[in-house]
Amino acid sequence: MPEQDKSEEKTRLIKAYTAIVLSRTLDNKIVVSQRQGRVGFYTPTIGQEALQVGASMALQDKDLIYGYYRDVPLMLHRGVPMENIINQIMGNREDSALGRQMPSHYCDKKRNFMSVQSPVATNLPLAVGSAYTQKYRKTNSIVLTTFGEGSTSAPDFHAALNLAAVYNLPVIFLCENNGWAISMPVEKQTLAEIWTKASAYGMRGVRANGNDLLETYEVTREAVKRAREGKGPTLIDAVSFRMGPHSTSDDPTKYRDVIVEEGSDKDPVIITEKLLKSKGYIDDKFIESIKTRAEKIVNDKFEECAKIPAADPSSAFTGVYKESSWMLDEEVKDLL
Amino acid sequence: MTEMNMVQAINNGLDLALKLDDSVILLGEDIGINGGVFRVTEGLQKKYGEDRVMDTPLVELGIVGMAIGMALTGLKPVPEIQFQDFIYTAMDQIINQAAKMRFRSNGDYTVPMVLRTPYGGGVKGGLYHSQSGEAYFAHTAGLTVVTPSGPYDAKGLLLSAIDYEDPVIFLEPKRLYRSIKEEVKDGEYKVPLRKASVVREGDDLTAITYGSMVPTVKNTFEKHKVNGDIIDLRTLVPMDIGTVIQSVEKTGRVVIIHEAPRTGGFGAEISASITERALESLLAPILRVTGPDSPFPYKMEDYYIPDDRRIMKAVNKLLEFR
Ligand SMILES: Cc1ncc(C[n+]2csc(CCOP(=O)(O)OP(=O)(O)O)c2C)c(N)n1
Repeated sequence: MPEQDKSEEKTRLIKAYTAIVLSRTLDNKIVVSQRQGRVGFYTPTIGQEALQVGASMALQDKDLIYGYYRDVPLMLHRGVPMENIINQIMGNREDSALGRQMPSHYCDKKRNFMSVQSPVATNLPLAVGSAYTQKYRKTNSIVLTTFGEGSTSAPDFHAALNLAAVYNLPVIFLCENNGWAISMPVEKQTLAEIWTKASAYGMRGVRANGNDLLETYEVTREAVKRAREGKGPTLIDAVSFRMGPHSTSDDPTKYRDVIVEEGSDKDPVIITEKLLKSKGYIDDKFIESIKTRAEKIVNDKFEECAKIPAADPSSAFTGVYKESSWMLDEEVKDLL
Repeated sequence: MTEMNMVQAINNGLDLALKLDDSVILLGEDIGINGGVFRVTEGLQKKYGEDRVMDTPLVELGIVGMAIGMALTGLKPVPEIQFQDFIYTAMDQIINQAAKMRFRSNGDYTVPMVLRTPYGGGVKGGLYHSQSGEAYFAHTAGLTVVTPSGPYDAKGLLLSAIDYEDPVIFLEPKRLYRSIKEEVKDGEYKVPLRKASVVREGDDLTAITYGSMVPTVKNTFEKHKVNGDIIDLRTLVPMDIGTVIQSVEKTGRVVIIHEAPRTGGFGAEISASITERALESLLAPILRVTGPDSPFPYKMEDYYIPDDRRIMKAVNKLLEFR
């Protein structure tokens, strides 16, 4: 590799690794805080960092993301300020949705990260519609949408893939295949490999090792390139593992024995460290300093955000329509 | 008799139904090995096997559609939708297949299915884990809409619903899953569908409510010593209009309480049914205390759900009305 490319790659990979470490540190902090009663609920992202950051590396700021409730690593890499994420989780008055949504339901219009819903896969057809806009308006932007492998059973997935293929749209379906949909393992969710489902709709489908940052990056980059060139959609099956519980309300010991320990060889943080070390971009000292710094950033930001008060109660009852309805106005008088 | 909460009572009812009749099949997401996200089906897969307590892929319309198909061919499926908020992709199956099958085949085919699903707020679930969508179902002829308000009724209504020959939408108020304990009979017993229950008696006014709001109304009436009837509808459709009118003729003053938004809510139906039949008995306008016409919020859920203060405001207004 020429020297300049190498230095660019180094910068890129260190940025990616930093996002991964920040995300993991934040994840652990939120999970602990939930147990302490400082946070109501959370869906951990542990195990899915490399795949999300790998995909994010292939995108431009102008591209649109229809993510889901586990996309913190992607958001951090994309430049969503950490405080936006924490404020959302706390539902305080700095949260862009003013605490209306449950934790893990992010939105960041500035970074083209669309508002997250709970009903899984319902974001996929929206991504297709927005991809149509990009094509129609010739913006050269593409749309990426994320979801778990369990969501491929939902009708929205099939409708979205079919439509995207039929209209040959610049959209990428990134399946974050973490092996589990709450208690349902992927082997019982579907008998087909996720990436092969694309062929039923005449669409390109590929698999990536989601724990391999560079592989996910390369696969996504290729999909992005094709989408921008007008060559249509791609389904990416990025295989990783849900190392944590489904959510802070879930107890995975009830239904699975397989575990991947944090810090083990199968942990994407460790895998990414090995990758960067092998390229000579980082060493143990660097790793330690980055982790120490991440701890401090996360703790500081968390405490800062924790001091922010909740929004005014009336905020929960406004913003339903552009022009409020008399019905709601009348009701709110009685409520507050 | 055993003291049980609603989760235990429904679990006990399902257990009994599975034991008594091998045509009873449970199906849903995470209901088997995980025992359901609210633990309502805990232990049942282990006891009755994967053929009878089925962990399904994540597809609500598939769960309901399959259940309808089972029901059409002699089984008694009891599908679970993990949260009522996620039922909407299955509405086509519910409205266009389940509800209309008896009518369109003139009774040659029927759908004896009990669709169980937790609904309502109060568990910090935000927009998508708190909805009270009973009016969507109540508006569909052919569906029987049932909601218990305590453990005893939950088991008894469930067992009636499983034996009922038409599709039942069985709405479980998740806020009450573990908050109330009652003595529940161990064996089989039934609480009839289409029958309301008068859970408190008094002369001054009639409170009509159901499901998640019943304990709140009861507590409010006890605390403020309100001398009124409280009617727990239990079955919304078909409503037990006889019990309602009897009480209205006695008191002449009516407040309707539900958690769902006011506009197009089931309270409107109750109110209209009363004025059509007992206008001469009314001494005051019928009042509604309901959730507002806005999505269910995460942070401010206590403001959303009708509470003591709002119920008493309506009660006092009714009592003072001349
Ligand atoms: C339509 C719908 N049904 C059910 C649920 C409840 N639920 C939340 S997450 C989940 C599992 C999703 O699994 P998967 O798509 O694999 O994503 P993961 O959570 O594993 O990242 C379920 C069943 C939901 N949110 N939406």
